[in-house]
Amino acid sequence: MPDPIKSVCEQRVFEEVFNTYSKTIRNFIYYKCGDSAQAEDLTQDAFVKLWNNCAKVPFEKTKSYLYTLANNAFLNEVAHKKVILKHQKSFTSIATHESPEFIYREKEFKGELDRAIANLTEKQREVFLLNRIENKKYKEIAEMLDISVKAVEKRMHGALVSLRSKIEHFKK
Amino acid sequence: MEHQNDDTYLAKWLAGEMPENELHDFKKSSTYADYKFLIDVVDELETPDYNQQKNYSATLNKIAKQQEKPVTKVRTLIPNWAYAAAASVVLFLGYSFFFQETTYNAQLAEQTNFKLPDGSEVLLNAGSEIAFNKFNWDNNRTLDLTGEAYFKVKKGSKFTVITKEGEVAVLGTQFTVNSRNDFYNVTCFEGKVKVTSGKLNHILTPGKAISIQDHIATPYTTIDTIPSWTAQESSFNNVAISQVVTELERQYNITISGKENLQDAYFSGRFSHTNLQQALITIFDTMEIRYTFDANSNVSIQKY
Repeated sequence: MPDPIKSVCEQRVFEEVFNTYSKTIRNFIYYKCGDSAQAEDLTQDAFVKLWNNCAKVPFEKTKSYLYTLANNAFLNEVAHKKVILKHQKSFTSIATHESPEFIYREKEFKGELDRAIANLTEKQREVFLLNRIENKKYKEIAEMLDISVKAVEKRMHGALVSLRSKIEHFKK
Repeated sequence: MEHQNDDTYLAKWLAGEMPENELHDFKKSSTYADYKFLIDVVDELETPDYNQQKNYSATLNKIAKQQEKPVTKVRTLIPNWAYAAAASVVLFLGYSFFFQETTYNAQLAEQTNFKLPDGSEVLLNAGSEIAFNKFNWDNNRTLDLTGEAYFKVKKGSKFTVITKEGEVAVLGTQFTVNSRNDFYNVTCFEGKVKVTSGKLNHILTPGKAISIQDHIATPYTTIDTIPSWTAQESSFNNVAISQVVTELERQYNITISGKENLQDAYFSGRFSHTNLQQALITIFDTMEIRYTFDANSNVSIQKY
């Protein structure tokens, strides 16, 4: 007997979907607006809408439906804050070849990087961080945002060029 | 360099899709080290912490809230549409009958007890609320709790209590759950109770309890065989003084002024629900907190 078709209307399935996608969606919105409370609120709203429309959304379409909802919800919100990410490790662990003088200026570099990321265009930033931090492939990002892979590549490239040009350290 | 006019080569490089010969040239270029370093740093970045359980509960709360207030539309009956309107009314009634949540609550200074559809008993402490779905209860014993309650659960399928702070799951047992703002306490009196809050998973056996304050979990042992508040008392084990004062307000339905004068401290002990003056002495005198108490039962905390 074939497996019965999964329905998001079942709370068990709904919870599974929530556990699978909620963090990425929250981060996706966070990369746009820089406000984690707002990002979580909009993520919850997207799942409430999914629940309300569970009978109309086929299980395999759930993911793209959620991304569309998250994207649309954000279009209606105006508040933008600076996107700030956490620096987990000291550079010494990843850049052993750097001079002590540079390590000394680590803090300065982090500040510049934070500003440079915040100053990327929203389109560049969401693509760049979805790829680097969420580890999404260009193809997946293209599907999420409903754009071509070529457009994703252009934004990635543009983001990197922009970051390098904004950081003083690289100008020497 | 040959890529000078190519506006995607860095993307290709990151994806590992740059042809071998181009990669060779790129590595020799002056910009390679900059980009490599930049990416190494960026890849170590992290987003702000995310509490999945908390967000899931919040989502369920939002869903429950909208079910509490179903949108009713006033329809004008136009002859041709009469059948359609009648059908939608039937559907609407059917929907609310099956899916609308049943809610019980206990007002300030009172306690409420009731039975769930399977005969399990619930005693709600002052200022608390429980919501659940009667439909299909035997297969889905899940309820939402705000505040504090004592459960005597009949044996059967998994019984789950969802709160803002976490989840408690059991088979058949007696236990209390207290979930107030920034405070979470579960005590087991019989059977086994599983407590989940964020990443924490903890199993309680009879006489064991756990409290979570400011994200710090503290397991402890209790000698009570029933919750103290069912016997006209509230008991505390290392609980922030502000929580104790709030519980005092709930049990006596009073408002205490000067709470901003409270200093950070933890209270262990119990207070009576029947004599306010006695309760004030037990809490404030032992904690050396200055307060005034007048003939009209107004309590005010002073600077100390």
